[in-house]
Amino acid sequence: MQRPTVFRIIGSLVAFLLALPALGRGDSQENLSSAIDRLIEARQQAEAVSHTGPIDDYAFARRVTLDLAGRIPTLQELTGFVADTSVDKRRQLVDRLLASPDFAYHLRDSLDILLLARKKTDEPWRKYLLEAARENRSWDRIFREVMLPERELPGDKRPAAFLHARARDLDAMTNDASVLWFGVNIACAKCHDHPLVPDWEQSHYFALASFFQRTFPTRTGLVSEKFDGKLKFTTTEGEEHQAEFMFLSGTSVSEPETALDKDVLKEIGQKIRDAERKEDAPPPPQPEFSPRAELVRLALEPGEHDFFSHNMANRVWARLIGHGLVHPLDQMHSENPPSHPELLETLAQDFAQNGYDLKRLIRTIVLTRTYFRSSRWTDASEPADPELFARGMVRPLYPRQLAMSLRVATRNPNGMPGLSAPDQWMSAREKFEQDSTALAARLPIPSGLFQVGTEEALFFSNSQEFHEDFLDSGNEHLVGHLAELADPEQIVETAFLTVLSRPPSDTEKGAVALHLAQRADQREDALRQLVWALLASPEFRFNH
Amino acid sequence: MKPTSLKQTQEGKREDILFCIAAGSQPGQYFFGSSDFGVHQLDISNEMAQPIRFEDGHQSYVTGLAVVGGNLISGSYDRQLIWWDIESRKPARTIPAHNRWIRRVLATPEGSRVVTVADDMLCKVWNVETAEFVAAFTDHRPLTPHDYPSMLYAVAISDDGSLLATGDKVGHVSIWDMESFAKVGELEAPTMYTWDPVQRRHSIGGIRSLAFSPDGEKLAVGGIGAIGNIDHLGGPARLEVFQWRLGKQLFVAEDNDHKGLIEQIAWASDERWIVTAGGDHKGFVTFHDAETGERLHQEGTSSHIHGFVFDRDAGTLAACGHQHWAQWNLQSEAEVG
Amino acid sequence: MKQTHFCGSPDHRISRRGFLGAATGATALAADMTVLDVLSRPALAEDLKRQQKSVILLWLAGGASQFETWDPKPGWPTGGPFAKIPTNVPGTHISELLPEMSRRLHYTAIIRSLNTKIADHGGGYRLMDTGRRDEPGVEFPHLGAIIAQELAQPDSRIPDYVEMYTSTEGRRKGSAGFLSGRFNPMFLTESMIPENIRRLESISQIDHHDRAALRRLLANRFSRDLPSSAVGCHNAAYQRVRGLMASASLFDVEREPAAMRQHYGPTQFGEQCMIARRLVEAGVPFVKVARAWWDSHGQNFETHRELCADLDQVMSALLDDLEQRGMLENTLVISLAEFGRTPKINGSLGRDHFASAWSCTLSGCGIQGGALYGKTDEDGMTVVDGEMGAGDLFATIFTALDIDYEKEYMLGSRPIPIADFGAAPREAILA
Repeated sequence: MQRPTVFRIIGSLVAFLLALPALGRGDSQENLSSAIDRLIEARQQAEAVSHTGPIDDYAFARRVTLDLAGRIPTLQELTGFVADTSVDKRRQLVDRLLASPDFAYHLRDSLDILLLARKKTDEPWRKYLLEAARENRSWDRIFREVMLPERELPGDKRPAAFLHARARDLDAMTNDASVLWFGVNIACAKCHDHPLVPDWEQSHYFALASFFQRTFPTRTGLVSEKFDGKLKFTTTEGEEHQAEFMFLSGTSVSEPETALDKDVLKEIGQKIRDAERKEDAPPPPQPEFSPRAELVRLALEPGEHDFFSHNMANRVWARLIGHGLVHPLDQMHSENPPSHPELLETLAQDFAQNGYDLKRLIRTIVLTRTYFRSSRWTDASEPADPELFARGMVRPLYPRQLAMSLRVATRNPNGMPGLSAPDQWMSAREKFEQDSTALAARLPIPSGLFQVGTEEALFFSNSQEFHEDFLDSGNEHLVGHLAELADPEQIVETAFLTVLSRPPSDTEKGAVALHLAQRADQREDALRQLVWALLASPEFRFNH
Repeated sequence: MKPTSLKQTQEGKREDILFCIAAGSQPGQYFFGSSDFGVHQLDISNEMAQPIRFEDGHQSYVTGLAVVGGNLISGSYDRQLIWWDIESRKPARTIPAHNRWIRRVLATPEGSRVVTVADDMLCKVWNVETAEFVAAFTDHRPLTPHDYPSMLYAVAISDDGSLLATGDKVGHVSIWDMESFAKVGELEAPTMYTWDPVQRRHSIGGIRSLAFSPDGEKLAVGGIGAIGNIDHLGGPARLEVFQWRLGKQLFVAEDNDHKGLIEQIAWASDERWIVTAGGDHKGFVTFHDAETGERLHQEGTSSHIHGFVFDRDAGTLAACGHQHWAQWNLQSEAEVG
Repeated sequence: MKQTHFCGSPDHRISRRGFLGAATGATALAADMTVLDVLSRPALAEDLKRQQKSVILLWLAGGASQFETWDPKPGWPTGGPFAKIPTNVPGTHISELLPEMSRRLHYTAIIRSLNTKIADHGGGYRLMDTGRRDEPGVEFPHLGAIIAQELAQPDSRIPDYVEMYTSTEGRRKGSAGFLSGRFNPMFLTESMIPENIRRLESISQIDHHDRAALRRLLANRFSRDLPSSAVGCHNAAYQRVRGLMASASLFDVEREPAAMRQHYGPTQFGEQCMIARRLVEAGVPFVKVARAWWDSHGQNFETHRELCADLDQVMSALLDDLEQRGMLENTLVISLAEFGRTPKINGSLGRDHFASAWSCTLSGCGIQGGALYGKTDEDGMTVVDGEMGAGDLFATIFTALDIDYEKEYMLGSRPIPIADFGAAPREAILA
């Protein structure tokens, strides 16, 4: 992929960056957010690209609620926020959302999709993630618990799901771990040195795989490690090599010599086989030297942790902004430098130095101006390259975001105080979460080339399930509520605010009024069609 | 007197698959039908003797053999019957007998006729002396209820030669009068069909063996029970015994210790027990109480048994199967006690 | 960057048809094109000609035996009981289980030399449905998705890629992989009527239509000034809804005359292949009909006696039907599985998984009918001539359809050729 503008101005950009004062590490988050904006805007200026303006309160409430709570705002939350006259109400909303029960649910759902990617549905694993999200468990601790469950949380199979789901497939374990925790896709290097990236040689792939090679799944859903075994591979020249235990950074560890008795090894082997096969086998013995523990240790070692912290800083940035600082997200290597190296460095260091605090990282990003740029490009010029972050990116909703938002949008807004009545909301959220599971499972996970398929359009259009769940005319539902409103103007206003989180335009008012007037004899059907049209519009399907 | 043990007296390993066995006129003399398209002769009374292959005749697996009088008659998946000259080991007469695979060849007790069943779903009767066609009859549909080709695997004749039974893939059994070739009864054993309508949409079971009790009143039906995964012979060996004139099922015996098809069945002369053999990847010989179906004794074998001959008087059972044959002596309570 | 996906939204349409990009007012032109305009531009005529082509894949799931179908070895210890029979192509014999096909081999090329090495169901399926080995972290598009991407009309009103798989064993849904979600298959399992393709009774035709118009109004306002192809594709998906709903009747076998239904036979596989022909006739580029489950570890011969009867009748009927409608020259019929079966006959008279020397067929579009490609040894243990891998088969399939097998899709910065690196078509199979 070409980035011609980058090459054109690279010299001046470097000069500009050098002229910037260094960012103080101990700065408050607000300062950090401003510093990010300065770096982003400096490059925009350097490239003579204009940026879009900030979004209005309605759009802000929708965007930030989707990003922090994983759903659209309720009507009451929305109108309350718009009516609020305090100067820093946006920051207040951010903090309210970060403290809400919704945040933990949404973080859980995001981590679940990221790490388990629907390889299986695993409620205990999801409970573990929810527990971690609720206490804002640090990312390094989650990493340790998920990658070393047998040592960090012995006997707890919940965090073991990540490895257990892949433990029979060394390649999947190796590459998924590398992609998800370190932002490095080295699968290409399995069969030959990476054709495009000199960083990744064949030996790197097998070195990383060797950390996982002794890992096995137990019958009871746990993982453990064998006591011996070395990974061998054959180079494209046909030479056979033994893989070292070497991290992506090039640092390697050597295994201490052990002299286990043959009979002891045999006995251990039997115990391991039992654990692999039998439901009632005792937990297998654990070796003193654990390659996987070495990997976890190396990945977090000062001086080595760049992959770990950069990856998550980049992933969170991409999730909230819509485009990675390193893009694609799994291509962190010298041939694909970050669009804003200093920004990524700053964000990653702040993340690492503040205890890998996900909430802090998220808050830093959503408090930037860059976060609330409008996605509309009204300028006559070509839309700015995404990597300049001059406009808000249109982002498809994740399956749970969409499924939850459909619930929130189609309930009677009077019964949906949302965070204005936190206690009541907690149990409602839990119920919506459960009700959304089946629908979320059939919606696509956004990827780089995301496109809504006809399957989804047909589901929205013709499925009995969709009509029953979201277009019911009972009193608890939006359609029923609208039917009770007398004033046509109020009907349109309420429908738009509840579903699209904004008031209707005059044109829209006119069109809808006409639609309703022509169907005065089938009012309920007409309202159902209105709500359907709002739900099926792209404006509802995307975060924008 | 009930069987308590089987003592293997002889066995042999082979490269080919032996589908059927017939006892010769001399003690210890057996004939086999093979996957090498040939008929083989073996004299096990002479321990040094090597099996001898007859000259070429069939063009496919040999699946039915009958020794009747001085005649050896074989049937094959090649649709032909061959009358062999046992002395010269050459085909004496070859006749096209069916339009599909011949599954079994059986002689009548008095030795004048031979009957065949085949996948053209016909049972045919032939004159042993002249090889002339005598009659053909069927009560078996060519297609299964799911519109796939059916198969006619099994045939049995009563000890007195008056009755004949045929059994097919979908579990239908017909009983015939051997004088008139009129149907005199029918039974259903549908479990043996094993059609899997959901996971794999095919079937591998069928009625594979039939045997009348010595008095002709009861009929034992052998095959396989319900199979979870029909990629494999992973169902219980299944035996159903009927009082066929009443259409009454006496018992069903299913064996999950040794799974697979029951390929052959024989009754004790006093009708107190029944012996069955067959298998999946491995094989079995199993004795059942003829009243209750209870398993009296069982021997596992290393390979699938396709057929056996049981000499009630001598108490010997000789079986053939996948790359293997063996002979056992039957020992009973009385002898042991 | 090469265009890797399109979904019917106008901007994609332009970039897909690179030759239009140079013309001014391309959007208007694309919208108003008539066939005559099209044919005056050679490149575009080529493109349209290609787009009339379709594929029907008969997927013999579980792995049919080459010995009992296309590569019989009667008389050898591994050959099994079945005879071979001559065909209408002098010198070529096939198993006696396929008598109808023996009279129609002039439509068909037999490949007897697949050596694909992967002999587990999941791995074999992915290899034979994507044309290459798995690579962790990369979701390769399946054959149907590639064909749909190459052959589907951007604004098509019918499905692009339909898969039928009724048995539950081995049921795996194909995937567009890294291509557009548009090219995920319409996947039919229990019912042959696609899900949600019919209007609910609770809404009238007029209301269904007007509701869509209201949605479009909202969508147009929203999409203005919004540079996002994903939003364009969302609208395109909704615009295809009515066309797809109109295609519901394609899935209805009751609409075929009784004589035709009899020709295909009463089995489910027959009915599904008849639906496949109806779909292809309406312009669907790729239909896969899976007949599962051939995995004959026990009773291989009984299994093939049962299932080959069905294959023989249905495949023959399909080829006859396509030929009589003049569609065979534009329709490629593939019979393929994830692998073949072992020469060795096991103790349950079964054959196990075997990927070292097995067979498939290609018939119709772009194929040299009657060709016999590749050879195995006497026992069927190894390929002795014309060895082919999955990539070579894909390259041959693409070439038969006039698709450049060396065409590359871009996955980020990485080019991925549609037929695996190093794969080459086999000219002897091609017309």
